[in-house]
Amino acid sequence: MGKDRSTELGTDQQSERNEKKTDVIERKEQFKTSSSIPIERVYLPNQINGMYMEKLGLPGQYPYTRGIRRTMYRGRYWTMRQYAGFGSASETNKRFRYLLEQGQSGLSVAFDLPTQIGYDSDDPMALGEVGKVGVAIDTLDDMELLFKGISLDKVSTSMTINAPAAILLAMYIVVAEKQGVSQKSIKGTIQNDILKEYIARGTYIFPPQPSMRMITDIFAYCSEHTPKFNTISISGYHIREAGSTAVQELAFTLANAMAYVDAALKTGLSVDQIAPRIAFFFNGHNQFFEEIAKFRAARRMWAKIMKEKYGAEKEKSMQLRFHTQVAGSTLTAQQPDNNIVRVAIQALAAVLGGTQSLHTNAKDEALSLPTEESAQIALRTQQIIAHETGVTDTVDPLGGSYFIEALTDEMEKEATAYLKEIDKRGGAVSAIEQQYMQREIQRNAYESNKKVEVEEDIVVGVNKYQLEEEPQTELLRIDEAFVEEQVNRIQHIRNSRNNTEVKNCLANLKHAAADSSVNIMPYIIAAVKEYCTVGEICHALREVFGEY
Amino acid sequence: MRKIRVLVAKPGLDGHDRGALIISQALRDAGMEVIYTGLRQTPKKIVKAAIQEDVDAIGLSSLSGAHNVLFPEVVKLLKTENAEDILVFGGGVIPYEDIKNLEQNGIKKIFTPGTSTKTIAAFIEKAVMEKRNGQLGILDPPNGIDHIGIAVRSIDDALLFYRNHFSIEVEKVVEVESQQVKVAFLPLTNCKLELLEPLSDDGAIAKFINKKGEGIHHIAFSVNSLQDRLDQLKKEGVKLINETPKNGAGGYPIAFLHPKNANGVLVELCETHNNEGDE
Repeated sequence: MGKDRSTELGTDQQSERNEKKTDVIERKEQFKTSSSIPIERVYLPNQINGMYMEKLGLPGQYPYTRGIRRTMYRGRYWTMRQYAGFGSASETNKRFRYLLEQGQSGLSVAFDLPTQIGYDSDDPMALGEVGKVGVAIDTLDDMELLFKGISLDKVSTSMTINAPAAILLAMYIVVAEKQGVSQKSIKGTIQNDILKEYIARGTYIFPPQPSMRMITDIFAYCSEHTPKFNTISISGYHIREAGSTAVQELAFTLANAMAYVDAALKTGLSVDQIAPRIAFFFNGHNQFFEEIAKFRAARRMWAKIMKEKYGAEKEKSMQLRFHTQVAGSTLTAQQPDNNIVRVAIQALAAVLGGTQSLHTNAKDEALSLPTEESAQIALRTQQIIAHETGVTDTVDPLGGSYFIEALTDEMEKEATAYLKEIDKRGGAVSAIEQQYMQREIQRNAYESNKKVEVEEDIVVGVNKYQLEEEPQTELLRIDEAFVEEQVNRIQHIRNSRNNTEVKNCLANLKHAAADSSVNIMPYIIAAVKEYCTVGEICHALREVFGEY
Repeated sequence: MRKIRVLVAKPGLDGHDRGALIISQALRDAGMEVIYTGLRQTPKKIVKAAIQEDVDAIGLSSLSGAHNVLFPEVVKLLKTENAEDILVFGGGVIPYEDIKNLEQNGIKKIFTPGTSTKTIAAFIEKAVMEKRNGQLGILDPPNGIDHIGIAVRSIDDALLFYRNHFSIEVEKVVEVESQQVKVAFLPLTNCKLELLEPLSDDGAIAKFINKKGEGIHHIAFSVNSLQDRLDQLKKEGVKLINETPKNGAGGYPIAFLHPKNANGVLVELCETHNNEGDE
């Protein structure tokens, strides 16, 4: 394997290179090392045989093991997308504008827990939680404030919202319309992955069946009206954070993905209608090579599943696109500066694994939400990897490594065994209802914690190399006074809107919810336009769907 | 002895229960009985469950930053339900500077990320046992002899003996009107002598001297949890002179037991130690 391998590419590949000019635009005319050694786009084995093509293929080609684009980061870097949001909409708006000025390329909205679970800021259930882990959104009014001065045709926005995803998406659509931006051109992603909420993350509202129906309603609505919006981001991230192994993360995520595809197919949507809008979200954990292998195995498995099981024809349907966030659970409260190093190594694994977008954690997140300074270091970490290390100058630089390829194969094999077990249990929804995945994860979480306690696994600063006195660090505090302000805002909206229309909208929504042949998205959009609150809409749906 | 029972609870809306589940399992492995509430519990629900399940301790976990509101609320509700004997500890994503405030608000201990489960289990065990002993301290022996009361006709006369031959000095002399007695305190390193002189012919000391002559009048034990101890003694059938503590001449609560149960010795209990942690 050497630099001249790529010059020995078969004529097929050569001609394909020249085919789609748009896909081959690269950042530079020529890539070189610091010693002026030219760097080729991709490096290949001496002999390209059928086995190689079947397992790896070329970047941008089925089964996409080496990446979903031919040029990967030689064309464009991944999207640097830092999850942010806290306190009030206006506070978060300021942070968004700051991040955009700092060179961040996409927005990622964190919502507070009451918003994620469908309670208004003045609901007794929201006590102590308003604005804590994200921004509090009660009505369209808050959403307008959140994106004030940010053109929704210019940014892509990722929203970490699941049970009430339809409501927040509806608000986003309406804010865009008010800005004069057509919903056809809005870009972004809603997480909308309820299954992993039951498994690992906990922000569910309704039982699995109606939740799945809401998701397929979103699929159907978006495939027609918001073609550039990713309608789901199927998340292994939280499964891993809850304590799973890398293989379990891979397997359970793909199992959930198949459950969504199955549900969509049942409603009459075609696989090529929905699959191109499916995105994935993985964890970037500590074990460097295993993580890289995981991303590569995920791409290969998904491509095979889509082609062989579902008969997908569009390339986009088979391409697993994913966002990565580095592992929050590996951050230590002890010696928090060490976390910068952990994050850098985890982020590097994500880049070497071919991620489409990346969130790097801030060093202080084991203690609180990040300060502006620590959030900046986190973003700078990505920028350093992108611009200074040269790892972006060739596609899948670790492809062909004996170790990486063996690990990739082994992870695929073990994850496939899990998929068979889940299939035997009647699919992901049934397996979740049987607590199968939850138990598997819990077992591993306990085992790995024990390993740290008996010092079989070393965590620097925690069970080895501890400091006597922990230095105090500056932490972000959320101004509690804002909660009262938020409560006043929502009460002001309740008094100033057209409450007759509000009642009508909610009644119509309930009717639509009760009839599973009706798509509820237009009814939610109508309710949002009349400034119905997230709590009111969720309450109306709770009455029809029940609560989990 | 009853196993330690712990309620592990997730207050608020935060759905991250990896830590709560690990702690639950670790406490079970340490021999405790653990009940896990599941997600999204209000402080009210948590306190209700804790009382119903008759737990010794509640472990609260929050990773959403709502701890400053929710943890003290649990402590407050325990108090209103008269269940403040249930210990509360907590953990999660909690900044160091919040810990002091939480611990001042009645949270017994906050465990930050990285704390070993063994440390947590050992802490709970010790805290619960201390608490149990504090409560059941009434079954433990007294801490020592607080003083010996000696009935004398005249303090001045009696003092000659103690001062001339033992160089014991008088700390103070107090007149207790209600008992018609004058008391002289003679401190020793580990105990005191109280010389009791009748003020009239009516008081208990006058009657004692008339009946038995001068001499040892009573022995006073130093104890904690005086009221609980009196209740317990009553339950055990001991005849009490004072069913509730009253202020003694020494400035702390005291009560007398009837000599009948003590083979003729009048026993006084003095609450010189409060309930908080002192032995």
